[in-house]
Amino acid sequence: MDLYEIRGGMLDVIAEESEHQELSRESTTMDRADARFSVNTNESLCFDPCEDSSPSPTGAEDGFDDDDDGGDDVFREGETENEIISIRNQLQGKVTEMENFAGHLEEIFLTVEENFGRQEQHLEQHYNDVLQTLSQRYDERAAGLGEEKKNKLEALYGQLLACGRALDASKELIETAQEIYRSQDKRLFLKTVMPTIKRIEEFAKEEVDLSLSTSLEFSTPLADLSDVKTMMDSINVVPAPSAPVINPQMPNSATQTSLRVCWSLFSDDTVEYYELYYRPVLEDTPADSTCAPQVSKVKVRETHCTVKDLLPNAQYELWVTATNTTGISPASEKALYMTVPSPPVIKQRECTSCPEAALIRWESGNTNPVDSYTVEFSERGTDGTESTITESIVAVPTCQCLIQLQPGRCYLVSVRAVNIGGPSDKSEVITISTTGTFFYLLEDTAHPCLSISEDGFTIFYGDEELPISAMASDDNTFTRCVAVLGDLIPVRGRHYWEVEVDDGTEFRIGVAYEDTEKNSYLGANSTSWCMRHILSPTRHKYEFLHSGWSPDLRITVNPVRIGVALDYNRGTLSFFNVNLEQHLHTFQCNFRNYVHPCFSLDNPGALTIHNGIEAPEYTFI
Amino acid sequence: MALTQVSSNKCAGGFQKVFEHESTELKCKMKFAVYLPPKAETDKCPVMYWLSGLTCTEQNFITKAGSQLTAAEHGLIIVAPDTSPRGCSIEGEDESWDFGTGAGFYVDATQEPWKTNYCMYSYITEELPKLINANFPTDPDKMSISGHSMGGHGALICALKNPGKYKAVSAFAPICNPMQCPWGQKAFSGYLGSDRSTWEAYDATVLAASYSGPQLDILIDQGRDDQFLSASQLLPDNLIAVCSEKKIPVVFRLQPGYDHSYFFIYSFINDHIKHHAKYLNA
Repeated sequence: MDLYEIRGGMLDVIAEESEHQELSRESTTMDRADARFSVNTNESLCFDPCEDSSPSPTGAEDGFDDDDDGGDDVFREGETENEIISIRNQLQGKVTEMENFAGHLEEIFLTVEENFGRQEQHLEQHYNDVLQTLSQRYDERAAGLGEEKKNKLEALYGQLLACGRALDASKELIETAQEIYRSQDKRLFLKTVMPTIKRIEEFAKEEVDLSLSTSLEFSTPLADLSDVKTMMDSINVVPAPSAPVINPQMPNSATQTSLRVCWSLFSDDTVEYYELYYRPVLEDTPADSTCAPQVSKVKVRETHCTVKDLLPNAQYELWVTATNTTGISPASEKALYMTVPSPPVIKQRECTSCPEAALIRWESGNTNPVDSYTVEFSERGTDGTESTITESIVAVPTCQCLIQLQPGRCYLVSVRAVNIGGPSDKSEVITISTTGTFFYLLEDTAHPCLSISEDGFTIFYGDEELPISAMASDDNTFTRCVAVLGDLIPVRGRHYWEVEVDDGTEFRIGVAYEDTEKNSYLGANSTSWCMRHILSPTRHKYEFLHSGWSPDLRITVNPVRIGVALDYNRGTLSFFNVNLEQHLHTFQCNFRNYVHPCFSLDNPGALTIHNGIEAPEYTFI
Repeated sequence: MALTQVSSNKCAGGFQKVFEHESTELKCKMKFAVYLPPKAETDKCPVMYWLSGLTCTEQNFITKAGSQLTAAEHGLIIVAPDTSPRGCSIEGEDESWDFGTGAGFYVDATQEPWKTNYCMYSYITEELPKLINANFPTDPDKMSISGHSMGGHGALICALKNPGKYKAVSAFAPICNPMQCPWGQKAFSGYLGSDRSTWEAYDATVLAASYSGPQLDILIDQGRDDQFLSASQLLPDNLIAVCSEKKIPVVFRLQPGYDHSYFFIYSFINDHIKHHAKYLNA
């Protein structure tokens, strides 16, 4: 579900709607389609599509009239009633949904109206700014032209005066010349003519400038209206978006190889597309490294994106920019997201169980650490169906978990690794049966001469000599007694297992502390308890050894299948001949630590362990 | 079949009682002890019969063995009869401690003057169980048997001679092969006569060699410092050898330091009651 998508879709609806409303406002009657989407009228809340889809009650009544069988009528009436009730309930549900939808629409409508108002205000502001600028320009220009006109007129007036004076002077000169010319007195004429001619010549030399000293044209410099133009443009053009806000990682939004990233924009912004950048954060790469991980980029139109092909259980740094026709926003803050881990791998051979509990062990499955693990288990029915109830143990810090179970059931268990990004996929599912106690052998404790079958439950002691090198071993390994320990679940309850032997095999079986002395024989010390079978030339001898001491005991029928019953609460370890249901011996000991089953062969032979079987009733009397 | 209560004492939540009755087999008054666990107040309980050893009466076991707490825990009725007829005025019956009174040896005597009264085998296997089942809340199909010394011998032969009748059997220091020991030879020749072939019917080792029937699981405890073991009165090795050969399951425990007394019985009675409970409550 994506809110933004939905909102986008609804916005379209609203846009159409408002047109409808505009149209229908004059004629107050609205058609159904309008009512369906109008959000300002109450009619929308009682929108009722049932008339289109549900059978009408009258139709049902018609059915009664057609049928003569009264008993059937009652039945059908009940049936119809139920049908009506169910339809009514459906309709009520629909109505509620529609009401919710209408509520949403109303909200959106308000938002749009608000945005529109803001936009209008914004435009008006712009418009006023432009007008103001223009009138300012006009005033400036008008003032300039007036000044120029005044200057020009002054210059022309001066010139006019100069011309007038020259005209007057020439007129007076002409009159003087004419007077001279008309004079009868020759001598006087001759006397005055010469200075006058000189004066005329002189006057003629004085040139009068008759060109206009100022141009008639006004100098009109090209008006620089580029700023106005910008302003005008900016009225039409949306501003470049501001930096989007990238959201922190949402729970369950990541997978092993993908991340779903969401961000938001400011409501005033118009965005054409976003660009999401991401790169892995590698802890072992130094900050100044030249080989910094490469940044990848995706272009999307939505305010979310699922980034794919990532590394599991890895941290990624992501940021986003928004772009529209005007430009690119600054980058958002950088957010850290994390892919979920790979599923863990259950170590089947290291899982152990008993009727009350199971110990599950697994490998992380991830190279870098995860936050925790979740163990999930559900019961499997006898018919093989999985129970719908899954129980979980969360926040398991280590790669093992002890889970409490009910006896005599079968469970399906799986594990998930969890980090900030969420849980991984399920590991492979293993089946745990709580019929009896189940364990594998701790093969690293096995004496070098001991070999273990593939299924892990039969041990062999061959008689071939081993090279000395094979004897080199760690502290865990039995070095003297050809023995091996079993990995018993650490639960202080009752445990039972059986051992199958040949009656010609010399063996020791029982329990020992995990740290029992590995260079001594089982039963020879205070940290182990065991039943020992010795073949003497004359008879079979059985010992029940602890601290090197055994009671003196004779058994007439050689047990070949031995039941071992350990009861921590009573502090008993009992041995039985399973085939005869015969009790052989019980050790009394308050085991202070957890013990492990132990098995050893004192001469070449084999021994098979049977476990996961229900303890017979007689074993815990 | 009338029972007379001799005593009744509350014990371990139940009651330890002693009754007296007129025995038809033994033709005398016989006493027996019966422990009724708390469970017997509401349910039918299995019965364990306890056979005591030479010189004992019904009192020894109930006062010395300490069996009641465990019997109460497992819901077992324990019946402890006397070890021989008493007061039959047979000549010589009180002459020695290992023959006659207190030494019935759990056989049916065939020889005069014993054969009229000394029919302890029939008393233990027939008359007493009928009496008990008729008078107490028992489960007649669930009975078992145990005993000490001569009673151990009795328990073993009752179980071996009646395959399936007793669900479990155990013994403390039993006389395992009476034909081969002084006690048995004295008793058998007295009660059964000199024909040794008739003795075989009451010898556990001989009976084990020819046993066929439902599987037995025999638990035997024996004190290592038992004077009668070293005196070759008990001879457990003979029985074990036969059982090993015949694959009759026996767990034989030689308990170091213990002698033939009830102190020894007291020490291991719980293991035996558990052994019986395992089969009686199965």
